[in-house]
Amino acid sequence: MNVTFEHVDLSYDDKKTILKDLNFTIPDGKLVSLLGPSGGGKTTTLNLISGLLHVTKGQIFFGSKEVTDQSALERKVGMVFQNYALYPHLSVLDNIAFPLKMQKVNKAKRYQIAKKYAHLVHVEDQLTKKPAALSGGQQQRVAIARALAKQPSLLLLDEPLSNLDARLRIEMRQEIKRIQQETGITTIFVTHDQDEALHISDYVMVLNDGRIQQFTQPQDLYDDPKNLFVAKFIGNPVINVLDAADLQASLQKYLPSNFYQQVKAVGVRAEAILPQPPIDCVGQIQAQIDKIEHFGSSVTANISYHQQRLVSTGIPANYQFGKQLVDLYFAKQGTYFFDNDGKRLEVKTHD
Amino acid sequence: MINQKKNWKTTLQAYLYLLPMLLVLLVFCIYPIVQSFLMSIYTKYDFFTNKVGAIGWDNFRYLFADPDFYIALKNTLIFVFGVVPLTIVLSLIIALMLNKLRWFSSLFRTIYFLPFVTSTVAIAMVWNWIYHSNYGFLNYLLGLVGIQPINWLNDPHYAMWALIIMSVWKGLGFNIILFLVGLNNIDNRYYQAAAIDGANSWQQFLHITVPLLSPTTFLVTVNEIIVSFKVFDQVFALFQNSPGPSKACLTLVYYLYQKFYIENKYTIAAASGVILFLLILVVTLIQLSYSRRHVHY
Repeated sequence: MNVTFEHVDLSYDDKKTILKDLNFTIPDGKLVSLLGPSGGGKTTTLNLISGLLHVTKGQIFFGSKEVTDQSALERKVGMVFQNYALYPHLSVLDNIAFPLKMQKVNKAKRYQIAKKYAHLVHVEDQLTKKPAALSGGQQQRVAIARALAKQPSLLLLDEPLSNLDARLRIEMRQEIKRIQQETGITTIFVTHDQDEALHISDYVMVLNDGRIQQFTQPQDLYDDPKNLFVAKFIGNPVINVLDAADLQASLQKYLPSNFYQQVKAVGVRAEAILPQPPIDCVGQIQAQIDKIEHFGSSVTANISYHQQRLVSTGIPANYQFGKQLVDLYFAKQGTYFFDNDGKRLEVKTHD
Repeated sequence: MINQKKNWKTTLQAYLYLLPMLLVLLVFCIYPIVQSFLMSIYTKYDFFTNKVGAIGWDNFRYLFADPDFYIALKNTLIFVFGVVPLTIVLSLIIALMLNKLRWFSSLFRTIYFLPFVTSTVAIAMVWNWIYHSNYGFLNYLLGLVGIQPINWLNDPHYAMWALIIMSVWKGLGFNIILFLVGLNNIDNRYYQAAAIDGANSWQQFLHITVPLLSPTTFLVTVNEIIVSFKVFDQVFALFQNSPGPSKACLTLVYYLYQKFYIENKYTIAAASGVILFLLILVVTLIQLSYSRRHVHY
């Protein structure tokens, strides 16, 4: 089932606006991440989908059915909370069976279904334990099983991995992907960790300041950011941002005059700063290389340019450098131009 | 201090810190308890010279032969079984409603808490008027719905009811506060999870509030049962220094009081105190074993 938001606004107390004119459609059967910094509106958007919060303005559709005014009870989505919210007084089996009990499914039947989902998430050997006796990862699995037990058309996950340690987090995100693919359920996943979002999602929605910054496939976010925020938020190391005023000569040389005057900021990915001019070169600076660090397979060069520090991964480890300024070049793939509002400008080079 | 290793010196130091409170407890609690246990088996005893002539079980035999003691026992049990469930149900309902209030909730909390901090004598005077057979407020209200006036305080059939109603009313405030604390301790995310899981308000109350409130309910029940077993001042004040019409409100502690202060049968009074102690002990132990199975911490 797909989920559609049409012109959704949300504000508290008629003053503080959290979400502004949200429009999107989450496609059926996909795993979609809501990604962004805290306070960006991710969890709020999720709560609007679940029905725990209600819109101030606008409409929400599940498939073709409008659900704007329905409560969480009526919408019947499955949800996994950040801290799992497993019922502490019930055993694992009873936790998973709880939604079915609410639907008045008889005992034998609901335990049978609960066991099936316990098996799917691999907690079938923990059924009689109370949640407090489980590890974080196991609680997480139980919470997913409980959310799936009532066979919802939507599965919502609110920062489900943030309470787990690093290794378990990677394991659980693979698990979530596997469970999503096995059940084929439309899944919406909230996270502030780009690594998580980019690794497991079919689509990523970047939210900041109550607005959708970009909604696309993971690789496009990196290759084709729509604005300065997305370019800065996605990618590690963080993209180098240069002020247009610092790059006058280079911009004038490589860009048509009517285009470069609109440019206010230039973003250059670390791998796009090269010591040799590439075929599709869009920029050039004279800068000083301070240090080249070499860990495992990654080579990182620290560069000083007009009192600014830049990072490049495009300079080989054995590159010879001294105190003098050297010429460095920007490759077209990985260099983005932004206007006054931070909006990405389509590159038009001289040739 | 917390990180210090435990040795003789630090242990001694800790005992020194505990000493003032221990002294008070020993003098005013432990010593009287031991004394009253001992006194209950003195059969020949001079209270004023503290001379013990003989010991034995005669005091208990006296109690079990005394019809008044059985009346006191029966009345106390009726009182406990009347007051405890009513208090718990009512205070839980009121706490749930107060918890839902958005405005003036602290004002209402204060109002409900007032009876608890008001002197029992003052409360009994007001209730004396409320219960008055001719001019009483309660009979006026009953008259509005066509019920004949009841002589609450002088009719042996209604005196216990009068006592129970006043005691429930007086005990509500404290228990409401305890329930409110318990309700506030239930994380809102459980209700959110339950709503997502399809539980309506009643199911949320049944499957989330009741089990997660059980530690508080247990605390309130144990406390309320003990307090009710010890009821005395309400009787004394409401019936003006009498155990009610034809002993209708003669409770165990009132019996003890009569034996000790009025009839000067000190050893009998001590023996009835021991019986009350055992009664409360047994009930509390039953509750504890029940709680192991049904209270979710």
